[in-house]
Amino acid sequence: MATNSTANSASDGRVVQFPTRGVAGPRSTAGGTRPAFSRLTDEPSGHVDDWGRDAGLFRTVTRLSEIRWAVSTGGEQHLPTRKGALIVVNARRFALATVYSGFAISRALDRPVRFVGRADGGALGALGQRLGGLLEHPDEVAGALRAGELVVCSTSTTRRPSDVGVVDHALIGAALRAKVAVHPAATTSSPFGRRARIEIGSATRARRNRRGSLAEVELADDVGRDIDRLLSEMGDMTTGTPLDWLPLSGLGGN
Amino acid sequence: MSGVGGELGTLVASLLEAESWVGSLAGIDADPPRRRLQRTTFHHISPDDHDRIVDTITTFNPHVLVHVGVWEPDARAAPRVAAALTDRAAVSVIGAAAECRALDSIVVRSGIEIYGRGPGALTRPDEDAPLRPTSEYGRAVADIERTATDVAARVGVTVGAVRLASVLGPHVPSPLGRLLRQPIVPFSALTDPPFAVIEHVDAARAIVAAARNQLSSPVNVVAPGAITCLHAIRRGRRVPLPLVGPQWWVARQLSHLTGAPIPDHLGEALTRGRLADNGRMHELLGVTPVVSTTEVIDQLYRWPSVIRQHARVPAAVQLPIEVSA
Repeated sequence: MATNSTANSASDGRVVQFPTRGVAGPRSTAGGTRPAFSRLTDEPSGHVDDWGRDAGLFRTVTRLSEIRWAVSTGGEQHLPTRKGALIVVNARRFALATVYSGFAISRALDRPVRFVGRADGGALGALGQRLGGLLEHPDEVAGALRAGELVVCSTSTTRRPSDVGVVDHALIGAALRAKVAVHPAATTSSPFGRRARIEIGSATRARRNRRGSLAEVELADDVGRDIDRLLSEMGDMTTGTPLDWLPLSGLGGN
Repeated sequence: MSGVGGELGTLVASLLEAESWVGSLAGIDADPPRRRLQRTTFHHISPDDHDRIVDTITTFNPHVLVHVGVWEPDARAAPRVAAALTDRAAVSVIGAAAECRALDSIVVRSGIEIYGRGPGALTRPDEDAPLRPTSEYGRAVADIERTATDVAARVGVTVGAVRLASVLGPHVPSPLGRLLRQPIVPFSALTDPPFAVIEHVDAARAIVAAARNQLSSPVNVVAPGAITCLHAIRRGRRVPLPLVGPQWWVARQLSHLTGAPIPDHLGEALTRGRLADNGRMHELLGVTPVVSTTEVIDQLYRWPSVIRQHARVPAAVQLPIEVSA
């Protein structure tokens, strides 16, 4: 194909774009990754979004999850309304903190929230993907954050609910690469009761400007410290029964 | 332009003809174009005919080479034949273009199958994701990109790879389209993962934009949104056939017999899913897909199987019979 430099005038061959009439159903996105539906409640049942989250299945499972967890959410006003953000929560072993936090924040904001840590492959992996799960891989998290998604990840799990595990600096690095804010969030839940609580803090800022990988390591430490502070402000989760007196119950009394 | 005889190639050629920056256009393929082209000079050459390809391309001396001559397995040829034709066409066409002094840039058709769906593969890989193809078609398009990149580095021209999702269109031969239009459609009962597609017009617009902008990097071209096989079956009002593990082997053989073979890259999409990040499309090409994945699937079920066109003038009127007295 040979190019014709003389025929390169802007006025020739101008296409007139007529406005198209809006129709019901999924709308095409002009911005590539911009989601077709910005609100969860607008999504029809058969809709599957760019990341494979199934709106109908998500609604059913979140409704079922309310049988297990009655979650109260606080501090959601700190989160950006349109941009992406990484939310780091503390996690007790077997508590599924990222899952119920993702569901609760989704409900509170009426906006899809992804959680990190779905299985890779198999029926569980597919179910996780259909509910908005992401693989625990920095590139996967960075891709979602760049696309303007809210992503919940957790610290390493601990036995005691008042302890904060290690924050994965690779995931914090993904947020820095995507140039989005990192929010600490404290979660408490009971293995015996339904009550659970999430308190989201304001974005953690880096104390120093670092050019190298120290930026993500220091920010990860700061996020861990902020979660610890939020947890101590929230107080322990109690059941109001003698179970709270037991030192190893995973509740109060520690 | 290579691959001008395919449905997508013909569409790309007709869009290129309308571009003001295109001076003259030459097309090569083993099959003639699917519709009338006004400005394109068509050369009917087999991918095996290495000498004629080199002669034709070097005589034309192109500024931009658009290589669309890629055979998807089980679309128009069996997997083994498709791989051989794709390889021969890529080596001959890109190699011949490298001999042209006027060449500025190369645009090749590729596919999102290039990322692979092995363990640990990203859910929605972007253009920087590692290339670990796990299917025959994925390896074929990876070879094309490698050939084009090697040649471009040697002769100092830019190379852009347009990584397309499964292309669906009314006359586009596609194993996915054929499978979904069967009356009974198999799907993975345990996983039923989401996949994305691209409409043929959006794919052609992206290739033309890549040639216009002299794309110098890979770009994912994927319609927004995703769909699972079961959702597609429901939209098309087909009968779903849930399958688990070894049942897929039986389904593949039966589907092959009924005229809708399931090549390995399609089987992979139905059991592991296939999505890609199209976030850089607008930045690199200046265009975005108009039709979403769900809309493409809806259109797939609306396209008629047989188009009957009545003659404008009845044959009896055209040829009056003279009756001698």
